[in-house]
Amino acid sequence: MDFYLGLLQVMGVHTQLGLSAYVVLQTGQVSLAQAGFMAIGAYIAAMLTVLSGWPLIAALIAGALVAGLTACLVGFPALRVHGLMLVVATIAFTEIVRLFFFNFDYQIARGSLRVGPLGGEGFRQIRYFPENGWTTLHVAIFIWTVVALVMAALWWMDRSRAGAVLRAVGEDEIAAQSCGINLTAVKVSAMTAGGAIAGLAGGLYAHYTTHIEQSNFTILLATFAIAYPILGGLSSVFGTVAAVIFIQGFLVEGLRFLGDWRNLLFGALIVLVMNIRPSGLLDARTMATLRRLFSRKEH
Amino acid sequence: MLIVDLVQSIVDGLLFGATYALIGIGFTLVFGVMHKINMAYAAASVGAAYAALRLIALIGGPAWASLLIAAAAGGVFGLIIYWLCFRFIPLSNPLATLMSTVGMFLLAEEIIVHTTDGMPQNYPVVVRGILDMGEFMIRGDLVFVFVCALLAMVVLLYLLYRTKLGIATRAVSQQPVAAQLVGIRLNHINALTFIVTGMLGGFAGALIGSAVGLLSPLLVIPLTIKGLIVTVIGGLGSIPGAIIAGLLVGMAENVFQYFRGVTERDIYVMLLLFVFLVFRPGGIFSNTVKRD
Repeated sequence: MDFYLGLLQVMGVHTQLGLSAYVVLQTGQVSLAQAGFMAIGAYIAAMLTVLSGWPLIAALIAGALVAGLTACLVGFPALRVHGLMLVVATIAFTEIVRLFFFNFDYQIARGSLRVGPLGGEGFRQIRYFPENGWTTLHVAIFIWTVVALVMAALWWMDRSRAGAVLRAVGEDEIAAQSCGINLTAVKVSAMTAGGAIAGLAGGLYAHYTTHIEQSNFTILLATFAIAYPILGGLSSVFGTVAAVIFIQGFLVEGLRFLGDWRNLLFGALIVLVMNIRPSGLLDARTMATLRRLFSRKEH
Repeated sequence: MLIVDLVQSIVDGLLFGATYALIGIGFTLVFGVMHKINMAYAAASVGAAYAALRLIALIGGPAWASLLIAAAAGGVFGLIIYWLCFRFIPLSNPLATLMSTVGMFLLAEEIIVHTTDGMPQNYPVVVRGILDMGEFMIRGDLVFVFVCALLAMVVLLYLLYRTKLGIATRAVSQQPVAAQLVGIRLNHINALTFIVTGMLGGFAGALIGSAVGLLSPLLVIPLTIKGLIVTVIGGLGSIPGAIIAGLLVGMAENVFQYFRGVTERDIYVMLLLFVFLVFRPGGIFSNTVKRD
């Protein structure tokens, strides 16, 4: 049972990470900085609970705010370039953050232990959950509550004016600009929101694994972050969830019996899916069909 | 002594930077022709060097032959990537080809790990020896790498600017619709670009193998990142830009390593990229025409 709860936790954090990339992708920007924002959120939240003794929720919010602020600051220079230049700029950002934490030491003595981040060895002993008697079930429920709140907020946003503005920028920047939309403001806001969501994902991740290190937050993780919404389709937040279940549930866990071959199949299946469904698993047409099916049932 | 060491690391960096320039040219050429990025490029290049290593081990042959075999293998891999990741995916959707090449990147890396059990493989050294020039020493293998890379660039530039194929390629990169109207087959040119860049990448992969002395799957991600940085600093689609940026990045990397140590050097290389993005977002040779 604990195995499945653990899997549920992993899926929760990855869904959160995917949603952070989803917001940015709505504006047509491909950001590989999400792993960097997640690392910032993870380290800040964990340092606040472990070193300063903050309560969890406050630490998570602080981590999300710092990550969001960083995203805002990075957004201004990075969004002067767009498209593929932005991909490269954000790759560089994630690497800078990772290398920063690789060289970052800040330890204090607590009892007989020294706690805090220690460069390449990482940050051990993030024991908020065990110290406060949370079980795996509690943690899984907590993570999915946060994810559900974020998803609900994004689902609502998709239906509001803000979502329309984001999609307008994503579809055609020049057309959006001639409708009086301030491109920079929209892109930087999306980046900030994405950064805050990724920071929240990082805080959750740090607390359930109890040990984080720089090698958790590589370009590969950033690639996964954009892979979920792209594979799932950008027309709905549920696409991201579907892709997380497909990748983490089916490809990573479901195919474990294949041993080494699983990893080979992983890349091949991504190539295959993009060939068959270039707009994602749940693309606009599929979503429309689903919606029709459900509305028919109501009648 | 400081000056001597500094000059030494600049020279070493410049010489090794030639390989970054080759990888950067590969990214930039595909971008110029198709306006797409091929994330699997560096992985396929290292894969081609591995393939050459395997073949040499199997049938035997002189060390320099591995360079040619790697180039041939790189061309084949380039064509495979084109067919699997670009040919049947609508090009109007930029995210789809980005993702498919990322999938290809993971596949290529995993094939390398799978066939070698993740162990680094020794690469045959083509040129040994050190040129002793008083206070300075120049590594013979790095000079060899530099000269080979320059040769590859000359061949490529000849191909692009002096042959019919090159004219067609440049026509497609300037205006695909007009190129199609004068009878250039887009799919052929795209496929050929992938073969040519693949050959260049395989050659670069083998050169890197011979300079570093071994091949490891750990080379793939740093090489991808450095190649992309070179592409952006040089200006997307600009070949002279990629050459100069490659040498610059190689040099900067070595100088930062000399001053700040190996764990911090890449931070400063990335910051160099941000300096360019802020002050010269179009790259060294920025086009006056703004294009994505």
